[in-house]
Amino acid sequence: MKTIKEVLDKKLTGLYFGNRVLIPFHCHILKLNIENDLITDFSPCCKGVHISENPDFMEIYFHDYKDLASVQTEFELIKMIVVEKGKDVFNKKNHLKIALHTETKHKLRIEKLREDQIFIE
Amino acid sequence: MISVKTFSILILFLLLTFCLAGNVLASNNDVTNSTVVQEMVASEEGEVEHELPSPYMVLPFIILLAMIATGPLFYHHFWERNYPKIALFLGAITVVYYIVFLHDTHSLRHTAAEYLSFIALLSSLFVASGGILIKVDRKATPMLNSIILLFGAVIANVIGTTGASMLLIRPFIKLNKDRIKPFHIIFFIFAVSNVGGALTPIGDPPLFLGFLKGVEFFWVVQHVWYIWLPTILAIIAVFYFIDLKNGNNNNSEVTYSNKIEFSGMKNVVYLLIIVISVFIDPAVISWVPSLDPLPFGIREIIMFSVVYFSYKSADKEILKANEFDFEPIKEVAYLFIGIFATMIPALQLIAHMAQAKGDILTPGIFYWSTGVLSAFLDNAPTYLNFLSAALGKFNLEMTTTGVLELQNLHPIYLSAISVGAVFFGAMTYIGNGPNFMVKSISERSGIKMPSFFGYLIKYSLPILIPIFIIVWLLFYYLQG
Repeated sequence: MKTIKEVLDKKLTGLYFGNRVLIPFHCHILKLNIENDLITDFSPCCKGVHISENPDFMEIYFHDYKDLASVQTEFELIKMIVVEKGKDVFNKKNHLKIALHTETKHKLRIEKLREDQIFIE
Repeated sequence: MISVKTFSILILFLLLTFCLAGNVLASNNDVTNSTVVQEMVASEEGEVEHELPSPYMVLPFIILLAMIATGPLFYHHFWERNYPKIALFLGAITVVYYIVFLHDTHSLRHTAAEYLSFIALLSSLFVASGGILIKVDRKATPMLNSIILLFGAVIANVIGTTGASMLLIRPFIKLNKDRIKPFHIIFFIFAVSNVGGALTPIGDPPLFLGFLKGVEFFWVVQHVWYIWLPTILAIIAVFYFIDLKNGNNNNSEVTYSNKIEFSGMKNVVYLLIIVISVFIDPAVISWVPSLDPLPFGIREIIMFSVVYFSYKSADKEILKANEFDFEPIKEVAYLFIGIFATMIPALQLIAHMAQAKGDILTPGIFYWSTGVLSAFLDNAPTYLNFLSAALGKFNLEMTTTGVLELQNLHPIYLSAISVGAVFFGAMTYIGNGPNFMVKSISERSGIKMPSFFGYLIKYSLPILIPIFIIVWLLFYYLQG
């Protein structure tokens, strides 16, 4: 299992298929933004997003979107505030802002959110 | 249970049936009642007589505006996927009706020209300002925030409420990132995205439509500045005191360079080109060639060229930082095709009705009616509807001469319509185009914005309505 730091440093990519995203690390998602949807409820009863954990990766399903590639444009991102699994979620220093961007051939670019890309916690 | 999709298809089917039935009824009425059912439309060749549309033909306009109001709030995923088809379909109903039943292509051509001018201005301002990035590295204080709101309100008159909102909303959020609350964004919408742009036709879309109809460029600033100034200062004063109570949550560990960085200078040049091109019109400068019968002129060609070149030459890093996306302007472009087409019958009928009931229409009635409708419908078509009504009241026509006569002989009416349309656009998210853009950028920046009714009940009604009542008392009730 890779750490978030490892994925960001090595510029490793994830995958996406339709409305499903696969990211190569485990994390707690605190807040997520896709298009105009600001999601903080990740409980199983909530229909908007479903998170599934596998031994080596995590899957996020966006139920309100059929195909992520069709809703994402050149400069648009999916933004998340996450905490690496196993780290103290209550320590704000562990909160990371990351961005996901759909590319061709199901490739999902994962990068740290830039200073000028705002995502308020 | 009927799905939203099935329900919408049913509504559209019913609408079509209504329109066709309405035409049959109107035709029958025409036979039995030969009173005024015709309107004179001025054209280059002289005056052309056209039959008035059936009142049922207002239905596509009402349905479109109702869907614009409810779609993003109650069925937004369906709306996002289908709004272009809905707008085009409803617009097509009116176009077919005018061609097939009224044989009136003049109104359609005229409307097409207005639409192209309108979308050329909005899209060029939107794209050019999207390539500019402002970074403010200072400590956020209520005073600095108030200065930014005032600055935004002033520049909204030069680069439009759309341009000013796009330019300033991100630096405003970033500056306040440690202390931002929804009220910051809402006051930004009040001051920069709406009320601020009441001084020039570039400021807000309704005033630009008025300019296209014949209102002189500097008429608005001359007749509205003394209403604009106390209103904007009152809004900012309320903001200042609320922000003062918000306290100082700034991170004391952070040091500020106090620098203001500005990148994307070439796009500022593009903004200047847009502002200058507004005047490049045969009606304003006599030597500017008219491209008639084409439904656009040199001005529109310049503006659309700015869209292309400002995007192509923009710094990709700035576009990335601004998360630039054509979707908001694409939405405006599609929706306004539908709005411009479907509102033709409404405009003609309102003008006709106002001629009949002109005596009871006071400046105050124009102020409140334009205002209340601008709050819940888009303020641009609302402005045109009431401009049409004011012209009708004085038996004037929707021509450059008619509009000039209204602005010179009855300025209080034009002022009431202009102020009502621009100021009340701030009342809801749907009142004015930039409101939704600012809400969208704020949500994408992680700020949980209030719902449609939350915005209205917690902010607009208690803050804006008392200010607007004072404006009415001072400038329309006592002087009307």
